[in-house]
Amino acid sequence: MESTTQKNKFIVPIGPQHPALKEPGHFEFTVDGEIVTSASVRLGYVHRGIEKGAESRSWTQNLYLVERVCGICSNIHGTALALGVEKLAGVTAPPRAQAIRVLVAELERIHSHMLWLGVAAHEGGFDTLFMYSWRDRETVMDLLESLTGNRVNYSANVIGGVKYDVTPELADSIRRGIDFLEERSRFYLKVVTSDETFLGRTRNVGTMTKEQALELGAVGPTARASGVTMDLRVDAPYGGYVDFPVSAVVEQDGDLAARFVVRIKELFESIRVIREILDHLPEGELTARVPRRIPPNEAIIRLEAPRGELFYFLKSNGTDQPERLKIRTPSLCNWASVMQLAVGHKLADMPMMLVGIDPCFSCNDRLFTIKKPGVGRTNSEEVWTWEDLRLYGIDYYRRRAI
Amino acid sequence: MTIPPLIALMLFPGGLFLLISGLFYEWADRKLVARYQNRIGPRWFQPLADFLKLLSKEEVTPKGVNAFLFYALPVVAVAGALTAALYVPMAGLKPVFSFSGDLIVVLYLLSLLTLCMGLAGTVTLNRFSLVGATRTLTQMFSYEAPLLLALIGPALAAGTWQVSEINDFAAQSTWMALIQPVGFIVALVGLMGKLELPPFDAPEAETEIVAGALTEYSGRGFALFRLGKNIELVIGLTLMAAFYLGGLANPLEFLLKTLGLLLLLSMLQSLFARLRIDQVVGLWWRIGALLALANILLVLFVY
Repeated sequence: MESTTQKNKFIVPIGPQHPALKEPGHFEFTVDGEIVTSASVRLGYVHRGIEKGAESRSWTQNLYLVERVCGICSNIHGTALALGVEKLAGVTAPPRAQAIRVLVAELERIHSHMLWLGVAAHEGGFDTLFMYSWRDRETVMDLLESLTGNRVNYSANVIGGVKYDVTPELADSIRRGIDFLEERSRFYLKVVTSDETFLGRTRNVGTMTKEQALELGAVGPTARASGVTMDLRVDAPYGGYVDFPVSAVVEQDGDLAARFVVRIKELFESIRVIREILDHLPEGELTARVPRRIPPNEAIIRLEAPRGELFYFLKSNGTDQPERLKIRTPSLCNWASVMQLAVGHKLADMPMMLVGIDPCFSCNDRLFTIKKPGVGRTNSEEVWTWEDLRLYGIDYYRRRAI
Repeated sequence: MTIPPLIALMLFPGGLFLLISGLFYEWADRKLVARYQNRIGPRWFQPLADFLKLLSKEEVTPKGVNAFLFYALPVVAVAGALTAALYVPMAGLKPVFSFSGDLIVVLYLLSLLTLCMGLAGTVTLNRFSLVGATRTLTQMFSYEAPLLLALIGPALAAGTWQVSEINDFAAQSTWMALIQPVGFIVALVGLMGKLELPPFDAPEAETEIVAGALTEYSGRGFALFRLGKNIELVIGLTLMAAFYLGGLANPLEFLLKTLGLLLLLSMLQSLFARLRIDQVVGLWWRIGALLALANILLVLFVY
């Protein structure tokens, strides 16, 4: 505890275990009274080796593996891989499958944004909004369950199409569900734009200008709340979005309040697209045939996940397993904005600002290269053998006397 | 009818009765907030179960604390709250002890809990505790004056600073909440600030500073602080009901009026987002203090 006043700095650590965090991450806020003077982040507590794991699994197995990258936006990862493999194999999924993919993706976006609304309200101490929004989120979870049989990891995709069809009865129940959600979303929009105590915590907090957003590489709703028109569903429509276009929701204020408004307004857009799809669902097959072995090729897939731009790089080598799979999730792009904007704000605003980008820790914990090996029997500056890593790990913890 | 001092201290209205009613009111508060938030809420014995569990937990003494202060502070806090109960019309009966000007003593004894919590936070080296303690004390200095002013309103109207006489006076006149609505609102919100209930829970905002000043407390110490707060809730509600809701003459009136107040209190708790500590100070000194002063002036002119 002696380190408390080290160099006359008062550092408030948040994490790796802290009530504000739903996943482990470590943040250090140097404070002067209540004002934050510097902020740093350390991630990597939930690195799971998914990319390496993918290399020893077949494409079909990987479909289920990548769904586990994120527990909230699981479907978009499966879609990304499916689209990528289809691109590598030169196959296109049938229109009905493309439309159902969009349907699931938009239901997932509703579920993700409502979850975020609750979490963000909780961080601001507004537990009533938290409870209400999570209660209503159950509706969309039920819809997803009735469509795919699962509430969280839906695995609606197969390579070349989708598994589940939308029957007319199911379409009706989805229509009823989203009618209810639309009404509730209107209420939430009213709450976050008119409740004075809530606005006191969100208005002019963490304001990010358009220039800053572009410079810091923000993506998704975080960037759109700062006036950056950036939505891959609009800019580079993929799959079913070609037939069912959406429009990007953009707000100009750039503060936390704008991030709330953007996400809630996106609910309306998602609901509109879902109605459109249910009314004009193309007829036909659900799957197209895809060869088991994928010829050597490379593909890049960019999708609009609920949190922003999701990036997949796939490299095939002629077998049924990938040569390389690289995933970059949107949370990673948004961290810089929080750390930059934290300075000058109050400590009390930190949890809401952290959550304002809708971070997903385990999604962005991928891999870091260690360029200057100090220990181990390494011969090369760049390449570490398994033995080197093991020794480094032992030494790392010994130095910390754990 | 006078109660023998030993019984008054140990069983009723002090001691056991206060402990039980404190736990009951905590349950009622939690249940009501839960219902407002569309949750089920805890069962009736949950606060008791929490309390017993905390008592049976290992008490950890952190490194670098003054052990005497660390263990003495929760005891002093609860003792202060228990003593305050002797001067208020608990359960609608006449206060056990009473003297001219005991209103100030009651308010002082109630502040002892907050003060002890602030000190408890500064005794430890924990960073969350320190920030929490700073916030606790900052908040105390912001709500204390308006709350005092708001409670003095009825006292001035009654022409006495003795709790029991104010209670009698309130029972004979129209409800003070109707005559002095501004004072009533300030006092009610002040009570929420005192008890660190949402939206005034910045000192123990879990998403920022874990448990605030009490982060290092476990086991008995934590149980006692919680109990102290529950007792303070009961006393606060009693005072409010006695002053502003037409006095307390019998146990039934006590139960109805305090629970009615609690209904209002828990609704206010679930309506707002948490205020930042600077917003709390601003609210109290810019609005609360002025309103309370205006109320006092009004009372002085009318009576």
